Amino acid sequence: MGFMQKVFRRSPWLYRINAGSCNGCDVELATTACIPRYDVERLGCQYCGSPKHADIVLITGPLTARVKDKVLRLWEEIPDPKVTVAVGICPISGGVFRDGLPIEGPLDRWLPIDVNVQGCPPRPQAIIEGIAKAIEVWSDRQ
Amino acid sequence: MSFLKVLVKNIVAGPSTVAYPFGEPETPAAYRGRVAFDAGACTGCRMCEYVCPAGAIRFDERDDGLHFAVWHNSCANCGHCAHYCPTKAIRLTNDWHMAHLQSEKYALADHAVVPRARCTRCGADIGYGTDAIVRHAYRGVARQTEHLARLCPDCRRAASIKGASL
Repeated sequence: MGFMQKVFRRSPWLYRINAGSCNGCDVELATTACIPRYDVERLGCQYCGSPKHADIVLITGPLTARVKDKVLRLWEEIPDPKVTVAVGICPISGGVFRDGLPIEGPLDRWLPIDVNVQGCPPRPQAIIEGIAKAIEVWSDRQ
Repeated sequence: MSFLKVLVKNIVAGPSTVAYPFGEPETPAAYRGRVAFDAGACTGCRMCEYVCPAGAIRFDERDDGLHFAVWHNSCANCGHCAHYCPTKAIRLTNDWHMAHLQSEKYALADHAVVPRARCTRCGADIGYGTDAIVRHAYRGVARQTEHLARLCPDCRRAASIKGASL
């Protein structure tokens, strides 16, 4: 392993996909990154705007029928090795929207999920805990 | 030179970032986290199952008792179950360490069995959690009341007529 890979390994970039979320989890994700109290950048993480740059993808929302194809297409664009994290109970099980008419979830019907973060929404520390687990999975995959 | 004041204040106050995950996190005592269930206090009314908006709580009636199951990955931590539980058998702890790998997804559940209450005289089935109901209904419970509460209606009638001798 070269020097660059050793350095690169420590800094996964995060990417968010909203799969029909109520925005609760998205607010918590923004809080996790933007408020110094939680500061996810201590783990070397940084949100990026393009799926092509991402290493860890955080998906929120129960995967509505309208957004399903777009989410899957976006997820395909993320280069391997990627780690998929389901944030909140909606992508994990459907949560309170389970078995609803426009719900195509849970997400693991369509995508391989690696880490789940329980909560409705999960508190920022729980998201950090999930991201820490995702970084472990990601390091193993390198 | 007022910025110096701010500078000194910030140096004294230290960083505002919480130490977690490199140190211990602080959690408010009233934080609504993982659901905890006490089978001994449950009366089997199944109100928690009824009010749960996410359908995370399931009851299953079997020969050995009432099987309670909660799947935390479906639980929204709303606290309805704890609010409506008459005997406070179900409550929300402040434990939020529930991030897990996909392989543990369906293992993040809790299961308990509420034993079937039996008449102490004839052994007939008299439902669930009779002691919990009596404790909930009366401020203090006399030994006689406790004794009668553990009997089936037929035996209770017979015992009452005889003067409920212990």
